[in-house]
Formats: sequence, C-alpha cells, structure tokens
Amino acid sequence: MASYEDWNRIEEDEEEELEDASYYEGKKDVILFCIDCSPSMLELHDDPNYEDLQTCHLYTALEAAMNIEKRKVMVGPNDAVGIMLFNTTRRNEKDGQSAEIKKGNFVYQPIETINAPNVQEVMRLLEAAREDPNLLRETFPPMTEGRIPMGDVFTSCNWVIRDGAPKTATKRVFLVTDEDDPHPGAAKERLITTARTTLIDLVQAGVTVEPFFISTEDKPFDPSNFYSSVLLPTNVVDEDDAGGNFLPESISIARVDDLLEQMRIREVPKRAQFSVPFQLAEGFTIGVKGYGLITEQKKGSYKYFVDLGDRMDVVNSRTVYVDEDTQAEADKARVLYGMELGSTAESAEDEEGEEGLRVAPANCKVFYTAEELRSFRTLGLDPIIKLLGFKSQSKLNFEDNVKHSLFIYPDEMTYSGSKRTFTALLRTMLNKNRMGIVLTLTRRNASPQFCALLPQAEKVDEGGWHEPAGFHLIPLPFADDIRAAPVQESVRASDELKDEARRFLDKLMIKNGAYNADAHPNPALGYHNAQLEASAFREEFDPAAFEDRTVPKYDQMHKRAGTLMKAWKEALLKDESANMTIITTGSKRKADVSVDEAEIRSKYDSGGLEKLRVDQLKEFLKSKSQSVSGKKAELIVRVSEWLEKHP
Amino acid sequence: MIFGSEETDNIINEESGGYEHVKDYITIGQPNAGTLAKLQELQPSTTYGDPIDAIIVGVETQHRYLATKRTWTRKVYLLTDGENPIELEDWEATAKKINALEVGLFVIGVDFDHDEDIPFREENKSHVKRTNEEFYHKLRSHLHRGDVGNCDFAMKEISRPDIKETRSVLQGTILRLGDVDARPEEAVEILCKTSKATAMQRPKSWKRFARREKNTAERNREDAMEVDDDDKAVFAQLRMRTEYYIGLKGDGEGSDAGGSDTDDEDGDDKNKHVEKVEKEQLVRGFKYGSSYAPCPDGQFPRLATRKGIDICGIFSAKNFRREYAMSEVTYVWADTTQPLQQVALSAFVQALYEKGAMATARWVTTDGSEPKMGVLHPVMFDRVDCLMFVRMPFAEDVRNFPFPSLENLISKKGERITSHPYLPTDEQMEAMKHFVDAMNLKDAGEKDEDGCDTPWFDICLSYNPAIHRVKQAQFHAAVVPDLNTHPLPPPHPELTKYFDPPKRVLKRARDAIEECQDRFKVREVPKKVARARKDGHVRAHDEDDETLLLDKAVKRTKSSAQLGGTSQHSQSQTLRTQSFRQAKKQDDSETESETEEEEELLLDRKPTNRALPTPAPEEPERGQAPGRIIGSTYPLEDFRANMARGDVVTKAVEDLGAVIKEIVLRPFASRREDEMIQCLRELRRVCLEEDEIDAWNAFLRNLREACLDGKPGNIEFWSRVKDESRMMSLISTTEANELGGKSDVSEPEAAEFIQR
Repeated sequence: MASYEDWNRIEEDEEEELEDASYYEGKKDVILFCIDCSPSMLELHDDPNYEDLQTCHLYTALEAAMNIEKRKVMVGPNDAVGIMLFNTTRRNEKDGQSAEIKKGNFVYQPIETINAPNVQEVMRLLEAAREDPNLLRETFPPMTEGRIPMGDVFTSCNWVIRDGAPKTATKRVFLVTDEDDPHPGAAKERLITTARTTLIDLVQAGVTVEPFFISTEDKPFDPSNFYSSVLLPTNVVDEDDAGGNFLPESISIARVDDLLEQMRIREVPKRAQFSVPFQLAEGFTIGVKGYGLITEQKKGSYKYFVDLGDRMDVVNSRTVYVDEDTQAEADKARVLYGMELGSTAESAEDEEGEEGLRVAPANCKVFYTAEELRSFRTLGLDPIIKLLGFKSQSKLNFEDNVKHSLFIYPDEMTYSGSKRTFTALLRTMLNKNRMGIVLTLTRRNASPQFCALLPQAEKVDEGGWHEPAGFHLIPLPFADDIRAAPVQESVRASDELKDEARRFLDKLMIKNGAYNADAHPNPALGYHNAQLEASAFREEFDPAAFEDRTVPKYDQMHKRAGTLMKAWKEALLKDESANMTIITTGSKRKADVSVDEAEIRSKYDSGGLEKLRVDQLKEFLKSKSQSVSGKKAELIVRVSEWLEKHP
Repeated sequence: MIFGSEETDNIINEESGGYEHVKDYITIGQPNAGTLAKLQELQPSTTYGDPIDAIIVGVETQHRYLATKRTWTRKVYLLTDGENPIELEDWEATAKKINALEVGLFVIGVDFDHDEDIPFREENKSHVKRTNEEFYHKLRSHLHRGDVGNCDFAMKEISRPDIKETRSVLQGTILRLGDVDARPEEAVEILCKTSKATAMQRPKSWKRFARREKNTAERNREDAMEVDDDDKAVFAQLRMRTEYYIGLKGDGEGSDAGGSDTDDEDGDDKNKHVEKVEKEQLVRGFKYGSSYAPCPDGQFPRLATRKGIDICGIFSAKNFRREYAMSEVTYVWADTTQPLQQVALSAFVQALYEKGAMATARWVTTDGSEPKMGVLHPVMFDRVDCLMFVRMPFAEDVRNFPFPSLENLISKKGERITSHPYLPTDEQMEAMKHFVDAMNLKDAGEKDEDGCDTPWFDICLSYNPAIHRVKQAQFHAAVVPDLNTHPLPPPHPELTKYFDPPKRVLKRARDAIEECQDRFKVREVPKKVARARKDGHVRAHDEDDETLLLDKAVKRTKSSAQLGGTSQHSQSQTLRTQSFRQAKKQDDSETESETEEEEELLLDRKPTNRALPTPAPEEPERGQAPGRIIGSTYPLEDFRANMARGDVVTKAVEDLGAVIKEIVLRPFASRREDEMIQCLRELRRVCLEEDEIDAWNAFLRNLREACLDGKPGNIEFWSRVKDESRMMSLISTTEANELGGKSDVSEPEAAEFIQR
C-alpha cells in the first residue's frame, strides 16, 4: 500500500532491525553491454519464434540488453547502463571524450542512468530491424578485414566506464561475442598478452567482465582457444570469491535463445548481506558469507517531485527529531531512549500541564543511550553463527516459519580452511539427513535468532545453471511468535467423501510437479511496472493486454477433473454429517439474527430484500465470507450479487 | 493503598471511622510515569498500621471501583516486611469476605522464609515477624486464591519471560477450486476462516528524549558558577518531523541526486545550494531511471482481484522446497458454523494428506489487494482437519546468484582436481562424521516424566531474548530513580539457555572437536589494514598480492605480523621495501611445500598476474612497482619521506617522475590532476635544490611528449601544466646558477617550452 508511510515507520523504529533490502538498494550498479558486431554476429538466420522473419545474433543481443535495461530500471532506478559495439567500422563523432575510443569500437549509448528516451531508442532500432533485417548491418557496418584486438576493446570499455560510472558503483561489462578465437595467426601470443594486460587494468578499476559466449552448432565456442588464457585468472576477482575459482564460473556459454535468461541470472550483482564467523565449536570456527536468495521484490516507493517550471526535480527527505515546545532540533548523538510518559492528574499539577517532559536530578541517569539499547537487543553478542547441535531434518515442521531464508557459503578470505571444513560438514549432513540448529546474529544491530541449518547439495542441470552447494538458514519462530489454534473441533468427512475427493485430486496432480517460482511472475508488480513504463514512454496503458499468469489454468483443470468435482459436490450434499446443525456455545446473548438462506432467497426473488434488518443482512454475508461493511443499500447489493452468482 | 502512614484517608474511615493510618495514596487507574513518580516520593513514617485494616480497605475500595465491571479478575497484593503488629481477631470474617468477592490475595514479604527455588531462611527473625508470617500462611490456607512469598523471589520472577497469548482473529475467506464464474456446476467453493499460526513479535519500541538546552545566557551564568548538583535536568520527548529538500545540482556528481534519504553529511557538505520545500508544493511520482513518471495518487490503478484462495495445482509434498517458504504461516479452517463446509474441507484435507501432496494456491486477502502465491499443506489434528498456508516466492523474488562449485575444482588443463586444500581429505571427513554424531541433540534435553531422554531445543520454550530483555530494561528504568546507582541486572537465565550447546553434548563431543581442530587446521586470516583509497584503479602490481591458498595463508600471518609495525602511514617507504623483500623471501622459501607442484597447476597461481585476494576497493599496499621506492598511492608522501632520509635523492626523483607519468596516462587521471600538479611542483623544487636539474628537464620533455603525442596521452593534463606557466617549465641556466647548479637550457628556451 502506501509505501511512503512504511518508510516512516522504519525511520521511527530505527533501532529495530532494518529489513535487508535497504542494503541492496544503497549501491548503484553499472552495466556496459559490449557486443561483438562482426559479420558472423550479423549473419541472418530464421527466427526460431516467428515464421518468415529473419534475425541475427546482434539483434538478439541488443534485444536482451534492452530487456535488461527495462527490468533494471524497475529494480534500481539509479542504475546506469551503456552499449558499446566492437568490430564495426562505424565511428563516434570526434568530439569530447569519445576521441579516446579505439578504432573499431563504437559507443552506441554512453553510460547514463537508465532513462526512457534511451530505452526507446533501442526499441525503435529493433522494431525497424524487424521490418528490414539488413538495417543493423547498415547501421553498424561490420569490419570485413580482420578483427580489432581484444585489448583495444577492453581499453575502450575502460574509457567508457571511466566517463560514465560513479566511483562507488559496482561496474560490470557484459561481453557478448561468438568468436572463440579472435586472433589466429602469428601475433596471437602477443595479442593475448595485451588483452590480458588491458583486462587487468579494467579489473583494477573495479570492473568485472561477465562473458556471454554464443555457441551454435555451426560455430561452437571453445573458451580454451583464447578466452581462458585471457579471462584468467584476473577476471575471477569477483568481490566475493577471490581465489575461489579455478575456471571462472562466469564463462557462460549461451545458446543464443538463452542469452536473456543467462543475463537475467546476472542482472543483479551478487552481494553478500553479511559476513560472519561460523562457530562449529569453541576453537573451531570458519568464515561464511550470507546471501538473500529469496527476498520479496517490492514496487519502488514513490518519490516526491517539485515543479521547477522547466523540469521536475526529485525531492530528498530528511527526518529530524524535534522538541516540539522549543522547536529545537535534537542532535542525533545526544538522543536518549525511554518509555512513553503518560500524563496523569498528579503530574499535571506539578508540571503546569506540560506533557512529554521528565524532570530528574541533573546527576541522575534516567534514560538509556543508543549503545545500551543495542546491547539489550543483541544480548551482548557479536555477529556470529553458532552451531548448537544437530537434529534429523524431519524435525523441521512446515509451520516453523516466519520469514524468508538466507543462504550461506564459505569464505576462505576470513578463515583459511573454511571451504574444506564447510564441504565436509555439508557432505556429512547430507549423508546423515541432518539439519543443524544454530544461533545467529547477522549484523551488529540485529537481534539473536535461532535458525535451522538445512544442507543443499550441488546440482547441475543441462543448461549449465546449477543449484549451488551450501546451507539454507531458516529462521525459526520463537515461542513468542506461535499462536494457538483457535478451532479445536469440527465435523469430519467420511471415508467415502474423502475417496471421492481423491479421485479428482489424482487427476489434478502434476507428475514430478513442484512449486515453480518462474511460472509465477508477480502480477501486481507487473501491472504496476507496465503502467510506470507506459507513463515514462508517454504511451497509453492498455489493461486488457496485461496477462496475470498466476490465475489458475481453469480450462485444463475442468477438462481433467471437472466431472469428478461435480460428482464430489453432489455426494457432499447428500452426506448426512454435512447437514447436522452445530450448537454454538456462545456466551453472549444477541438478538436472533439467523435467517434461513431459503428465506433470504425468496425475499430476493420477490424483490423484498429491503425488508430485512441490517444485522440480518450482515449475518448472511458473514456466513458467506463476504464483506459486511457499508450502508444497508450496499449490503443489499452485495447480497443480491451473491445470490445471483449462486443460483 | 498505604498503611502505616501518618495520615488517614480512606473511604471506610470517612464513612464510619476506624481504620487509622491507612491511606488511599494512588487511586485505582492505569499506571504511568506519574504513578511511579509518586511511589518514589514515599518516605518512611514513624508509626504502624494494621495490614488487616489495609486489606479490608483495599478490598472494599476495589469492590466499589469494579461495581459495574463484574467480569474483571480481582487481585490484591500485600507488600510488607511483617514487622507491623496485627489485630488477630475476627480474621476469619475477612477471609470469608475475600472469598465471596473472588479476590486473590498475594502476600509479598520482605525476607520471608521460603523453600522454592533457592531456599531462604532469615536469621534472628523478630518474634513479631515470625508470628505474622505464620499468620499469613494460616490466612492463605483459608482463601480460595492467593499466595505468600518472598519479595526477592518475586522480583526475580518478574524478569522471567512470559508469553502474552494473543488470540488470532478469524477472518472469512473462500477456498475455490475451478472456475466459479463460467463453470459453477463443476467448480468447488468452500467457505473458510483463516487465523495466524505464527506471527513475528518485535520488542516494544522506545521513545526518544533529549535534554533540554538552556539558553545561552542561562548557561553562561551557570558556567560561571560551576553548575551545582541539585540542578534539575529537563528531558523532553522528541517528535519526528520530515523535511523536504531539493539539491540544485552544482557540481559534477550530478548522478548522485537519486538517493532518497540524504544523510546529514551529504546534505551539508556537497550540496551547497540546498533549498527547503514545503510538502504542499510536492507532486508524487515514480522514477523511471532518470526520467519521471507522474502519479498523483501515489499508486497506479490496481489489478482487479477477487478475495479468496484459488487452488492452482497439486504436487507431491516431497518436492516442496522448504527454503522457499518466505512468510508467517496461516491456518485455513472451514467455516466454524457450517457443517457442510467443514465436511467439504475435511474431505479435501484428508485426500491431500493421504496422497502426500500439497496444493499451489493464489491468495487474495480482500477484493483488490495484491495476490500472493503460496502452498497449502494438509494438517490433521486430533479432532479437526485444516490447511496451513505459507507464501512462496514469485519469479521476481528469487535471486539466482552464481556460486562456484565446492566439489568440482578444475585445473587449467581442464582436469578435475581431486585433492586440494579446498577439498576435505578422508581423515577430515572421518573427523567431521564423529563431530556430527557427537553433537546430536536428539537425546540431549532433560528427562521426561518416564525418565526418557528428550530432544534439546524446543521452539515452544525458546523465548525471543530481545523482546524480553527490552521489556526488562524498560521496566527497570521505570522503577529505579537512577540507572547509575541501580544498573540493569543481568538477563533472566531462561533467555540465554539456548545460547550454547548443552553441556552434556559438549562433553560427549570433546574428543571429536579436538580431532576436527587438529585435522582441519582452520586459521583466521589477519585483517588487512583498510586504508582510505585515493584512487580505486591505479595500483601497480604488488609482489605481495598473492592469492591466498591455504598453506600460504598461514605463513602470511607471520610475514604480515612482521610488517605490522612498518605499515604505518608515515613510515619511510624505503624501509618498507626492505622488509617486504625480506618477507617475500621468507614466503618463497616456505612455500616449497609438498603442495607447490599442485598449486602450479592451478590457474590462480600464475607468476605474473595473480588474482587479487581482496575485494577491489581495498588498497592493500601503497602500490609501488617492484624496485621502486615511490608508490602510486601516496607518491608525494613517499617522496618526502625519502627526501628526509637524504641518501636516495636521485632514485626518488627518478621514481617520482615515473610514477607521475604512469598516473597521468591512466584512465581517471583527471581525478588526481591537482595532486599530480603538486607532485610536479615538489619535484621541480627538489630537482633545482638538489642539483637534479638535468633529470627534471629530461623528465619534463618526456612527459610533454607522452601527454601530447602518445596514446592514450592526456592533453588536458598538459594544459594544466601550461597553466602553471614559467614556474613549471624547464630549469634554465639562470635559475640553476642562482643555486650553484648547471643547466643546458637557456632562459628563452625555457620560457618558450612551456608556451608551445
């Protein structure tokens, strides 16, 4: 809902744990798409999805880049992207900084905060290229003679990023090419060396290169021809895993159709949420980093803008704490904490009716400091994951859940030997089907939390994507979080009815089915983003074109099990126990409001619903789990609607 | 109600006399800070009051107050040290009255004897007190409800965590299977009620206060008098206020304007032209990158949704990914008044349960609210069947970060490595197995009634330590006059009982733990000294920047320790270089371990460009290239330090020149322009004074050529040098002669050089 109000609440209870998301959003992400433009990338082939259409790798790459731009802008509106093409004869205008760009490289879009005109520019180009497949070749004429040295490409990337990326951002180059051996021939060794040297410069400027190598049947891609000696080992200096990689995992080879999918996996830069010691026992501690692999993606919060006449400008907000009587702003460092002071008749007499004041002798301490508050929450613990022992995985109940899980992975950089120990623990727990019980304090201002430590084995699937090895940390509810079941008893179904129900469930059950997150994009978020995009592009939003993929597949359901469901319903109505009346043991007496459904229906048929009392209408609606708010007229409309739908 | 007071003030006394020295001190009502303040004011009296009188007055006053609130629970607490004389007649009538009004009477006695928990006996107890204690126990035995206890014990019990049981409200909803609109004859609808099964509780919040400042005049006066101790401090509760600002973009960092919450520094330092705006002037909207999408309502029209839980599919429970559950858990019950609905849901739940299946479901809480996806899990309780719902992630909520494999390590030759310090050995696996077995909690709890071992750690007894500790702190601050003299006592042991593994288990696991420590040899890697980095990208290769492979890491500890003293900022760079070499030598010799051969195979271990072991932002060293005494990180400082040493001038001049040239020709050079100009000035001054004139002249010619003709070059920087004009040019004969030096450059030539 009103996200703005939510921020305020967080501000107000600043001392409480801040949600993890804020950490992510603080950092900007910069991506430079660096796309090969050689003849093979431009070679036309039939579009796999549309008949009578021709496409090329460059088209696919640009389309993927455009899609990533569109997605990123929703997640991080401050993120920046740029597009650079290489192996093209097109040159940038000789002005300003682009003069530094090496020959053969063309900066199509310099790095800028994502904005609607830039996205639309790519969209228009792609649309035009759909009509005229040769357009891309004309717009970005490929170099026909040879290829430019990869070293030049990396140097140019460095300049482009230098010009456009803020210092503190995470900077990445998405390199797309289909040529696994760009420099055959005599100079190969030398070119490899320069490519590697320039890449090192790039890495040292804090830039990571994420390669996307396009491999086709006709033109398979073998990284060992060139790239494994160039990208290694410098490129694996990924913020989190220095030293961990032997072959860079990030060498991703995509069938061109998977390009977008591959890029999506890397869309959000991988950032650890916390890095803490994991104490297996006293004197036996390893280092781990924690990641939020499951985190609710919320709509962006709205901002305030001010009209400056010629443009709209974002307004920044600042929260201050003031003494309302004196209007003095309090110095944050000197704020103290205590409980709400209520006012009483007595205190009013003493203090001339001033509320919210506490008078104490000057040398007495009556409030706590922020530091003390923190110690109350942490109970004096420093950030840690502490193993308490092991239990069988079957002891982890479905209902022992309160929020999303976290994922931990060993960190060799804080404790050497972490990886082998972590791996040994993981293997052993998988073998024995165990889970750990751990005490965690993930950040300095968090509070202790007990978690189940659930091992996950490594799984590689064909697409090259794999489920990583590691532990899931599942926060367990405290005794304070558990609510009692308010319903102790109810009528139960007979075995016949249950068997009847099984028949349609059998039909509805998907073999090897599971909950598939990818099949369920968030419709509310999508609906919001589609409108935001339309508004930014100054286009009309068409609600009818929006598809909610979370709506059940009704046709399929009814086709498979419709008749069985109908049979079950009939059996249900005939069932004896379904028709007994329940004696409620309500303690409070009320006016008799129970109205027979048949009576209401007859009133409805004869147009006499007005004759019923408001409490009767409400009771009826309540029994149908309908809303009971509103005036009598609204209630009548709602009752009528219900009866209409349930003949 | 206080008794033993000098004054008498109570309703019974007013109406019919008697009941002296009992005072209605604080009238019945909700307690607050004022109540506590009043309690603080109590002073000991010089007289006695009769506790029985007080009980009678209390019960009567309470009875009148609750005249219209018959259902309320009544309790009277009597707090006494037991030293007051009691009129022991007719107490049975009082007991009868207490029982008739269903009042619970709890006597809390200071230093009363008690047997529970930690038994306590007071030595030298007075006769009166002994008699009174006996009396209270006798009275208690005649009451329906009540207790007699020790005050210290009661105080301790107050900090014991107690759980506030919250009754969940039942919310109505509809469980649907199939298309109820288009195919109502087949579609199933079950009327349901939902309630929470888990709900996260948070510690109570705190209010903010600040000591009210006196105005300057007052303060000055006080300063002069050395503020006296009886002075009162006034604390005012603070209210939150949000202020809105626009920062007019002035400086280069324009792209920075996006952040929503400007922190104070940002606001004050960077944006000099900050303008405050009133909330009324503002328009709401969303950012689409740097574009703006107006949205006056703060949200776009919502997706039309209908309240209810729609079942989307059925799948086998064994494919349920536990780590995907991302919310609190909710019960779904059949409507509590309609048997038909109950039977329907029960049949569905039982069928699902029997199949070992779960349902995927889409939940909309109220009409028009955002749909949530989740799974329904069948539950069969003793006498009721229901479902439990937990949210599962949407496609957007899953982050598929890539993680390197832990098991498959591939060498540069493309072969799989089977033995490596990252992989556990058989001995290590063996030790881990012992450890996991020894640390089993299945039987580590207390014995149950039948004497059987129970598991250790029960969620139902795991109190949220933060909630209860904060509560204790708030209560404590409210009741003591001064936290300096009455610090907060330690947390109740119940709160921390699960903070360490049970002793039994630790004892059992001791050998296994030692075995693990021995075999895994995990060592903490010393933290690198993080230094403010001046420039992220300029860093020459460092001999020491090696990938941390395991065996090395240990040795590294040693060498870093040696360096510890010299890595200070202001130390001479020359010294550092030496110790580096030393350390390196040591490092090299010690790496001649059996793992070396294997390490060579690994890609990381390449002699020339090694992977950097730390995240890029850290600048581990000062960035001097091998053989140089001037680093690229703090060149000027290094240069000056070496100058102070005196005997390495020629080398320092040469190196600083080389470093300047390198920095200037690199990307991002513009950010260090000012620094480089300063270096040039210093270099020129030193060259002139120390007779390195030829070196300067050669360097400057070389620099100009590199800037103007070289690739990448840096034309901008050279124009900055030109701006320095003659004072930065070649050193001419005239200049040199003044200090007794020599130059082969004429004055006009020098003047002309910088102009070109």
